[in-house]
Amino acid sequence: MNQIDYSVEPDVVQGSLSQRDINEAISKPLETKPTKLYYLALGISSTLLLIGAISLALTLYYGVGLWGINQPVGWAFDIVNFVFWVGIGHAGTLISAILFLFRQRWRTGIARFAEAMTIFAVMTAGLFPLIHTGRPWLDGYLFPVPNQHHLWINFTSPLIWDVFAVSTYLTVSFVFWYIGLIPDLATLRERTNSKVKKIIYSILSLGWRHSNRHWHHYEMIYLILAGFATPLVLSVHTIVSFDFAVSILPGWHTTIFPPYFVAGAVFSGFAMVQNVLIVIRKIFNLQNIITLDTLEKMNKVMLATGLMVGYAYGMEFFIAWYSGNPLESFVFLNRAFGNYAWAYWIMVSCNVIFTQLFWFKKIRRSIVPMFIIGVLVNIGMWFERFVIVVTTLSRDFLPTSWDYFVPTIYDIGILLGSFGLFFTLVILFIRTLPVVSITEVKSVLKTSQPVHH
Amino acid sequence: MIENTTVLYQKKEIPIRILHLGFVFLAIGVIGSIIGFVVEPARTSFNFVVLIAWCASIGTGSLFFIGIEYLSGAVWSVPFRRVAEVNSAVIFTLPLLIVPVLLNIHSVFHWSHAEEVLKDEILKGKSSYLNPSFFVLRIILIIALWFLFKSLFTKHSRKQDFTFEQSLTKKNTIVSAVFMPVFAVTLTIFAIDWLMSLEPHWYSTIFGVYYFAGTFLAALGLFTFASIKLNESGYLLEGLGQDHYYSMGALLFAFTNFWAYIAFSQFMLIWYANLPEETFWYITRGTGTWMYFSLGIIFVKFVVPYIALLPQPAKMDPKRLKFISLWILFAHYYDLFWIVMPTYSKDYFVFGWIEISSILLGIGLIIVNFYYFANKTNLIPIGDPKLKRAIEFHL
Repeated sequence: MNQIDYSVEPDVVQGSLSQRDINEAISKPLETKPTKLYYLALGISSTLLLIGAISLALTLYYGVGLWGINQPVGWAFDIVNFVFWVGIGHAGTLISAILFLFRQRWRTGIARFAEAMTIFAVMTAGLFPLIHTGRPWLDGYLFPVPNQHHLWINFTSPLIWDVFAVSTYLTVSFVFWYIGLIPDLATLRERTNSKVKKIIYSILSLGWRHSNRHWHHYEMIYLILAGFATPLVLSVHTIVSFDFAVSILPGWHTTIFPPYFVAGAVFSGFAMVQNVLIVIRKIFNLQNIITLDTLEKMNKVMLATGLMVGYAYGMEFFIAWYSGNPLESFVFLNRAFGNYAWAYWIMVSCNVIFTQLFWFKKIRRSIVPMFIIGVLVNIGMWFERFVIVVTTLSRDFLPTSWDYFVPTIYDIGILLGSFGLFFTLVILFIRTLPVVSITEVKSVLKTSQPVHH
Repeated sequence: MIENTTVLYQKKEIPIRILHLGFVFLAIGVIGSIIGFVVEPARTSFNFVVLIAWCASIGTGSLFFIGIEYLSGAVWSVPFRRVAEVNSAVIFTLPLLIVPVLLNIHSVFHWSHAEEVLKDEILKGKSSYLNPSFFVLRIILIIALWFLFKSLFTKHSRKQDFTFEQSLTKKNTIVSAVFMPVFAVTLTIFAIDWLMSLEPHWYSTIFGVYYFAGTFLAALGLFTFASIKLNESGYLLEGLGQDHYYSMGALLFAFTNFWAYIAFSQFMLIWYANLPEETFWYITRGTGTWMYFSLGIIFVKFVVPYIALLPQPAKMDPKRLKFISLWILFAHYYDLFWIVMPTYSKDYFVFGWIEISSILLGIGLIIVNFYYFANKTNLIPIGDPKLKRAIEFHL
């Protein structure tokens, strides 16, 4: 077992890179021609996107009757996908804002990608509330815009809260991400030889000259935005949980939902960041910047949030029994042993059981096992939302109307399409903008620290 | 490793007048409570439940703080860790407080009446959990676990003062990792047993998290106050100051918000769904004179600390921090009082000499505990490998 020396600060970046090496390593993907592998990945993801687009177009033309939804199960894949993708986005803001406030310097290697992922995930998620209404052309009424019918929106509806929460979140995340990009864009502007790129980078970098005064303002605004973004991490998924919890349906109405959803969101988001970064660091050769130590820390966060999610499962079960409410206890027994028990056990094993492997340092530090666990976590978290939405609805108060939801090819097509959209955006991003923040990584280099004598 | 020995630390005894002060509080509190148990046993027992929950918060919240320091590798808090270790010893007072309540269990916990339970279908259903013998067994197990982790943390930490071994930090990191899930489960069971089950029909899945939020705040409050006070009077080391205080202020601010978030979530969901099984708990607290007390909690526990700590300079101002940390410590008492006492007196708010003696007893216990345990150890973990980094810590 390797010994940690607690008396010295651990290095975030390994391999004694110079500032110039950092510039080179991170800008390389932007300045070289993509490989065949890149086009292959882009081809696969855009094919998925196309499948999703076709499924969605047919849905818009024929209506949501193409989906598997039925009488008690009025919400299914649309809401499951929505919650799943909003959740994925959360790790981004956690890494970029909360870890920033906690002064966790290891975040520098992963923050940029996590922020970008937030934006793409929220964009993907944002589609679903719009299409789940069934008549998306009327979605304009979700915005509080005065109209000729003198109809005002229903402020007591969680659907409206979603619109506000998600759009605020998207806006703040975007601004935060963009502010962080400005110094890097200026660096790229100085490096590039192409005239067109130079013009684009010049415009986007907003006249950044790396001057002292610029840095002063930059640091200030970055801190303020981190402060703004932090409550948003909590609020967005809290509002999403309110979609369920403000109802009186047993299994949906439970007070632990807000923190439980937030923990689950961070959990799945970290799994996604970890998965994608494992691939990126390998292909772009960034092992010294996105180090094994960083990945290990991410795995620890996943272990912690996984336990929190497990705590919430346990608490829900216990209180369902403790409440003495037969409706509550029925719902939870039905989840574990009823018609969708298979989904429930997928959820429990992926989210609570397999992640316990992260107690072992060896597994936390080996790429293949951690990648597999990361994938399993995302499967488990998708099924968690499926369990919450579908099993609860399929066994509602009236046994005569109980039904079983089976997804149709269109449901699955749209689900695949959401992955297609997300990964297409990710793949385009990694060759368009620096996937790791050049300036932030430089700031944690050993050579940029004040020297003690 | 040897470098750490260069830290110059001269142990100073805590002056005896602190102990005297503590004894004054303790004496009034003990006498008042004894008279209370004779004159009004039910009311005094309810006050003791508040006191038990408050002391459990301070003790276990301090353990949680220590655990988080090891797990996250935090540096700034190392010179102050002994303060948290000393405060965590408050859990040793718990058995003394719990026994008188257990003797009066029937006047506090409605579910402890076997004949009442038989008449009530819901209580009958949960009687396998809510019954006196299992209840006592649980609290013994919970406290035993807390003692175990408290002594493990302190043992390793103190040993390091002499041996300077880095492996002890590693050991405590492992202890912390095991402690976290244990802490979550035991604190939740404690909250359900001692607070939620006072209204045995009421249930809320977030309740454990709610109690945790207050727990950590109370422990942070006492930690901040004691740390700043000790540092200002020269008991700690040269070079600790604003940058360290800022972290304390920021944590207090963050968890004030976290508590408000959890409290709002619980209230909002119960209010919105409007199910009679759940709303009665808030209705009791929203009628009669309790309504004013309930509204007060928003200001006492959220608005005042929030506004006081919002500006950046406020988070490093020792004067402001000393005031607001004590405020937060007592705000938690207010919160617990709000949870517990409406069960004793449904229609109107009660406050008199019995309540005052409970609070004084609590303050006395904390002070005496602090004096006793602070004098037993170095107030600085001089053998901690992170100490030097901590002194050099700057924002």
